[in-house]
Amino acid sequence: MTAEHEQAPQSTRQPLLELKKVTKHFGGLAAVQDVDLAIYPQEIVSIIGPNGAGKTTVFNLITGIYLATSGEIIFEGQPLKKASPHQVVQRGLARTFQNIRLFNNMTVLENVLVGEHLRLKASILDAVFRPPWVKQEEEEARRRAIELLSFFGQHLVDRQDEYVINLSYADRRRVEIARALASEPKLLLLDEPTAGMNEAETMEAVHYIRRLRDELHLTILLIEHKLMVTMGISDRIAVLDYGRKIAEGLPDEIRRDERVITAYLGKAATADRQTWQVALRPQPEGEANNHHE
Amino acid sequence: MAMLVPSQILPQTGETRRLLLKWVIAFLVPVLVFTLVWSGEAILNAALLAIFFPGSFSIAAIAAGLFMLLFYGIITGLTGYLVAADSGRQSLLDLWISMFFFTVVPILLIYITANLFVGLAASVVVWAFYYYGRRLVRRFRPPAPLPPLPSLKVLDAEMRATLLTRARLGSFWFALSFSLIWLLVDLLFYFTGQYGQASLVFLVWILLRSVLLPVAGWLLGSLGGLVAIRHAVPANGNGSNGDRAGAPVSTRRLRLLSATRAREEARDLVPNDLPLRSTGARNFYLLLLLALLVFYPMIDPFLFGPGTDSRLDNYGNAGYYVILALGLNIVVGFAGLLDLGYVAFFVIGAYTWAMVGSPQLTVLTGIHINPDIWPWLFWPMLIVAALIAALWGVLLGAPTLRLRGDYLAIVTLGFGEIIPIVVQNLDKYTNGTNGLTGIYSPAFFGVHWNVSTSEPYYYLILVLIAIVLLANLRLRDSRIGRAWIAMREDEIAAAASGINLTRTKLLAFAAGAFFSGIAGAYYAAKLSTVTSGNFSFSDSVIYLAMVVLGGLGSIPGVVVGALAVYAVNVLVLPQLDALGNDPSSIIYPIYTHILQVIPNFSFSNIRNLIFGIILVVLMIFRPEGLIPSTRRRHELHHTEAEGVEITSLDTPPGAPGFESEMRVE
Ligand SMILES: Nc1ncnc2c1ncn2[C@@H]1O[C@H](COP(=O)(O)OP(=O)(O)O)[C@@H](O)[C@H]1O
Ligand SMILES: [Mg+2]
Repeated sequence: MTAEHEQAPQSTRQPLLELKKVTKHFGGLAAVQDVDLAIYPQEIVSIIGPNGAGKTTVFNLITGIYLATSGEIIFEGQPLKKASPHQVVQRGLARTFQNIRLFNNMTVLENVLVGEHLRLKASILDAVFRPPWVKQEEEEARRRAIELLSFFGQHLVDRQDEYVINLSYADRRRVEIARALASEPKLLLLDEPTAGMNEAETMEAVHYIRRLRDELHLTILLIEHKLMVTMGISDRIAVLDYGRKIAEGLPDEIRRDERVITAYLGKAATADRQTWQVALRPQPEGEANNHHE
Repeated sequence: MAMLVPSQILPQTGETRRLLLKWVIAFLVPVLVFTLVWSGEAILNAALLAIFFPGSFSIAAIAAGLFMLLFYGIITGLTGYLVAADSGRQSLLDLWISMFFFTVVPILLIYITANLFVGLAASVVVWAFYYYGRRLVRRFRPPAPLPPLPSLKVLDAEMRATLLTRARLGSFWFALSFSLIWLLVDLLFYFTGQYGQASLVFLVWILLRSVLLPVAGWLLGSLGGLVAIRHAVPANGNGSNGDRAGAPVSTRRLRLLSATRAREEARDLVPNDLPLRSTGARNFYLLLLLALLVFYPMIDPFLFGPGTDSRLDNYGNAGYYVILALGLNIVVGFAGLLDLGYVAFFVIGAYTWAMVGSPQLTVLTGIHINPDIWPWLFWPMLIVAALIAALWGVLLGAPTLRLRGDYLAIVTLGFGEIIPIVVQNLDKYTNGTNGLTGIYSPAFFGVHWNVSTSEPYYYLILVLIAIVLLANLRLRDSRIGRAWIAMREDEIAAAASGINLTRTKLLAFAAGAFFSGIAGAYYAAKLSTVTSGNFSFSDSVIYLAMVVLGGLGSIPGVVVGALAVYAVNVLVLPQLDALGNDPSSIIYPIYTHILQVIPNFSFSNIRNLIFGIILVVLMIFRPEGLIPSTRRRHELHHTEAEGVEITSLDTPPGAPGFESEMRVE
């Protein structure tokens, strides 16, 4: 198979992030089961799967928000054992949330500055006495925050003093990414970064996600429903269903994979491409959210 | 020269004339009322007496006179600034009416009641009616809504020159009219013989003053104009990259800000729709406030007559409430941790100095204390007391880390109860219910300092407040302050942004307790006695009321909140009782009537009821507090905003069992 050929050179390198038989039970429910996954430096890897498949749970396990029931998560060769969320950030992983979690009553700039928290050194005493180096650090932090915002174009820079709650949905997603970038991560985890966006905004998101890798040399793990996005930018795709990884491979392989089609469409489905694409698209974001809340 | 001056001092355009009229009258009335009706002139005369008549030499009077000069100078400069900074959109009448209510009314009420706090409290009542009336009027004649940034424009060199000229004219005309009216009144008094045997010195002074004032006005106007120009959008001010903090925001960025936000930011700009609230004007207020605070002990006798010492004593007490409120604001306002046991740290701070700075130390350790040197120890012990309190803040905070909201409140409440009881029961060290007495006052170069001198304490607390205030402002705008606020907003997002929740919470507890410790040490030194029975849960509630009333998270807000609560609690209620028992007062009939129905009635007895009512009314009409932080005002007006639910967490993210607490998506 072609997949073997493609992956052969990678296995000689060390994966940036590696999941080994990661399992998470919520009471009786196995939300994630024996998931293995390896992400190599400067790859864009997508996780897809129906709603409730356990994708977000995988993110929560990686970023230390939930504790895994069993299994191992290894980052740069070192296990992320029971690291709490801020320690995970310190190791070089940053994430965004499916339901955007910004600090709504802080401005755009302040949100990004919070993301720089770990980079800045000022202790509580330094903050009170504010020696010259702290002043410099603050100025530098602001400059950097603005630089990060300008990654998404001048228009967020101009809105730096706006409270995030007054921004459009798409802009909020961008600010959340900027906040994640502010911690200078090596691996960026994006949970449905185009959810709730229209066609044009989605296209733009695809564009800047690719730029994140090409210009900032980031490795990206992505949860994404929209076929247009996943197929377009992923180097590899992993498919989750009922907490298990049922397939992994190149976008083209996934598109043709029997198990994946079954997972999405049930046995009766044909491999008709048209139906497929519709099916791979989730229900509209609004509905998905209402369902949970 | 003679031909030149008139053309320069005459306003050229109709608009300038209107602005001059508007602001000169707005300030002339209160300043004249203060000068002629109350004590402005009296203070200056006393200063003159002190200078020219060696028999009545007094440094205090001279200092008071100096303050008056500062006062007139600042007001004159401010008038100039306002004329320059005004966009002219607020109507004349509107401004005059509100100036009347917010300056003339309190001046007169304070003068009549001869009591700062009672006068202010009465003013608050008048203001409430004024607001109510204004609302009624607006309901029938709603004012046209102002577009958010109607007059935002880049000023070129020519317009700047115009601003400067206007400011000069404003100050000049204000000073000129003021000096003329003052002159007329004084001459009238002189010729009707009401000055008695006024000496030549006074006549010379009156004439000199009348000439000097307009000249000073012209010069001060330039100052006001410079301040205005500093806040004008510069001609090349549209670069949005690398904006310096404090530099005016670029017009483009302002246009993109939402309406509310733009209005806030535009305060920094000239011309301004509400120049009285602009940043430039705020500089003048701060200067005035600073001068007032520093010179206060000297001018107090002129303002309120005898009894300065006891008044200063009261302010010295009010001061430590301010520090307590600022400290608690870090915990509750910034970090969002509801602490109902804040009094504990105050007790710890107080007992630290009480045990070290009193004969009790000899009792405990056998060390002989030299009472001349020992008081100097107050200064290092102030820090030590604060550090010990901070340590206890961490120790008591640690077990509560996993608690939030109601649970946290209950546990901290417990600590607030336990600490005074523990202190009481350690009677071997703390002398139990009898408390500790004979605690030393601090010592300082050239200051005669003991329990009965209130002036040194006044200045001490002023300095302490200034330091604590500065520390709070810096903390708020630092990496740590942002972490506190982020944590309050959304713990999960904060943790995922790299904030160590445990550490950040403990830092908040420690910082809050630190300031409480400072207040405690000051309290012990000032009172010279501490008794464990003096501290109780109701104190913690009072502190919380100060923070909530002033505006959670708002530094100026909690300062005002603390002063207001202290004033109502300690000054206004007893004063009302005193008035009620005084047959000549206006409330005497009502008071006696109530006493017939409810024996034992006194305002002090229903103190908690009054606080309850004030808080409830405030929460209904102004839940964000008296002077809210912009953030919080914003938050309370966006309650419908969607987004993730942010419930209180009892388990930190990443801990076992966190998932049953909250589902993160
Ligand atoms: N904190 C939790 N407690 C209980 N069940 C949970 C929790 N979080 C997720 N689940 C369940 O785990 C499954 C996977 O959820 P999730 O990872 O959010 O799916 P998705 O793939 O849509 O992101 C779902 O059935 C969900 O109900
Ligand atoms: Mg999900």
